Amino acid sequence: MTLTRTRTRTRLLALVWPALRAPDGPDATTLDAILDRLDDLSPRIEAVGRGVALLDITGLEPLLGDERRVATRAVALARQVTPLPIRAGAGDNRWLAVLAARLARPSTPDAPAAFHALPAGATAARAALAQLSLDLLPVDEATRQRFALFGLTGMGQLAALPRSAVGAQFGVPGERLQQLARGIDPRPLVPRRRPERLNLEAAFEPPAEGLTEIALTLRRLAAELCDTLRARHLAPGRAALRLTLEDAPDLRIELALPEPVLEPDWIARLLIGRLEQAARARQPATQAEEEPRIVTIGLAFDRLANPATRQLPAFEARVGRWEELRWSLERLTMRFGEGRLWRASHDRPSASLPEHRARLVGL
Amino acid sequence: MTVARSLPELLESMRDRGLRRGVDPGPMVAADPLPTGQPGLDVALRSGGWPRGALALLDAPTGSGATSLALGSLAACQADGGLVAWLDPFGRLDPSTAARLGVSLEWLLVVRPADPAEALELAGWLTRSRLIDLLVVDLADAPPPRGLERLADRLADLLLRASGTALLLSGPRGAEAVGRAAGVRVALQRLAWLAVGEDLVGQRVSATVTRHRWALPGGRAELDLWFGEGRRIDPLLRSAATPREVTPASAAAPVLPLRVISA
Repeated sequence: MTLTRTRTRTRLLALVWPALRAPDGPDATTLDAILDRLDDLSPRIEAVGRGVALLDITGLEPLLGDERRVATRAVALARQVTPLPIRAGAGDNRWLAVLAARLARPSTPDAPAAFHALPAGATAARAALAQLSLDLLPVDEATRQRFALFGLTGMGQLAALPRSAVGAQFGVPGERLQQLARGIDPRPLVPRRRPERLNLEAAFEPPAEGLTEIALTLRRLAAELCDTLRARHLAPGRAALRLTLEDAPDLRIELALPEPVLEPDWIARLLIGRLEQAARARQPATQAEEEPRIVTIGLAFDRLANPATRQLPAFEARVGRWEELRWSLERLTMRFGEGRLWRASHDRPSASLPEHRARLVGL
Repeated sequence: MTVARSLPELLESMRDRGLRRGVDPGPMVAADPLPTGQPGLDVALRSGGWPRGALALLDAPTGSGATSLALGSLAACQADGGLVAWLDPFGRLDPSTAARLGVSLEWLLVVRPADPAEALELAGWLTRSRLIDLLVVDLADAPPPRGLERLADRLADLLLRASGTALLLSGPRGAEAVGRAAGVRVALQRLAWLAVGEDLVGQRVSATVTRHRWALPGGRAELDLWFGEGRRIDPLLRSAATPREVTPASAAAPVLPLRVISA
């Protein structure tokens, strides 16, 4: 293989989580966490949609072994976050990689993962696709019926037709489908920007007992992180607190802030509030035992954004006051619990029954 | 050159301005009151609306228009650019009705407390934020829980300090418990149904200010509360509606064959 050919050859690995694609599956934060973990494998990762990720694995073979080994490694990393079943596929471009993942079948029904690779190189890939059904193409029902009327059932048949003939009968979308049937997909992988995260940690020696002891430390950590961000004109949109406990599993608290702010007091207070709530929830299980002592405390800020770029409530004064109110409501939720705060939505004003015209939506 | 007036002259001039004992001083305007949505009630209150810092109790039997009046007050407050909240421990608020009576749902916070006591506690929390201009606490006609008086006292105190305003909707049982804490108390009573032909389009209620900490009580107004489009009531309908006398049998529910037009 010449150097030029080596440079132009790209291999992509598609990972599909069928459970994440389900409408009632885990939320998007699970996929975010998986992608964060997969960053260890490849710097070029794209979240294609709900439950589908594409990784550029070009050049990883000398480091990790063949594609199956790379896929195994990716599956292992993903399963550290969630043990959901995965289908993995390797191909030369986006279309081929995702198609390979669709074709992957687990060796046993309860196998956690399945892998399938389409051969590298345009000729080999086209040959592999020739045997496959046209139903695998992303095509609507009407076009599929027209393909059937022309006697086209396999990708090989569509690929063998002259491009001009396909264009004349099916237009530009037909030409694009023919390109896919030939294994050609010019769309590049668009790597996601790795979210920046600032961490700070402090250890207690001897371990701290109770929340009052850690409140000051938490306030200090928040102030230090806020100072760092202030110098860069950034503010956190989310804060995550992690407590390492003595003889007990770690405790993690996440706080999504209503807007990016640099208010260490507020952030620390809200986190302590959440922490008290979590401690209350744990109380019945550990009533007979002593409260676990805190060994380390870690605070992380992410979803960084410039607070100055947010739109100012120039035309509606209530917008600003409502945003301010959301802070109070956050505390109120912590004090009284979920399910108290609602906002009415008048989304079906023309519904025949008055009671169907508006509904309450949880805040 | 200004000549200093003697004390008797000053007292006489004050008497002339209506401070003489037993003379109705006429309407007084409190600092930045909140409109009630009913001009007649604004005048009867003598404070130009719900006074800031007041816990106002709408003392009304079921169906006397307390909810409509409260929703109208919310709409009027929103029209002035205010933020409002409805605390609804019994899940009685119908957003469609609220919207129909002119409330902008976009700027309405609905709070669903677990019980009336928690409702008053939550009202205190919201008052402390100083961001909600008008709160409505709908206590319905439920029996008052233990400690309600203390919570109402506390809420009244918070409202006074934070210059917030809260309306309490309560039946006779709850009114006894929270009545002492209320700075303003308005009793509502249905006088007549308003009908166009066989269709009931509203009701006429009498509102009597039975207690007022910031002005003289005793003001009375007759309010027309419309079931239809609230503040945007059709002027033709308004002029065409005729009052129907409320008989004891029809006080709770309209007599057939009248139809209630509300949608």
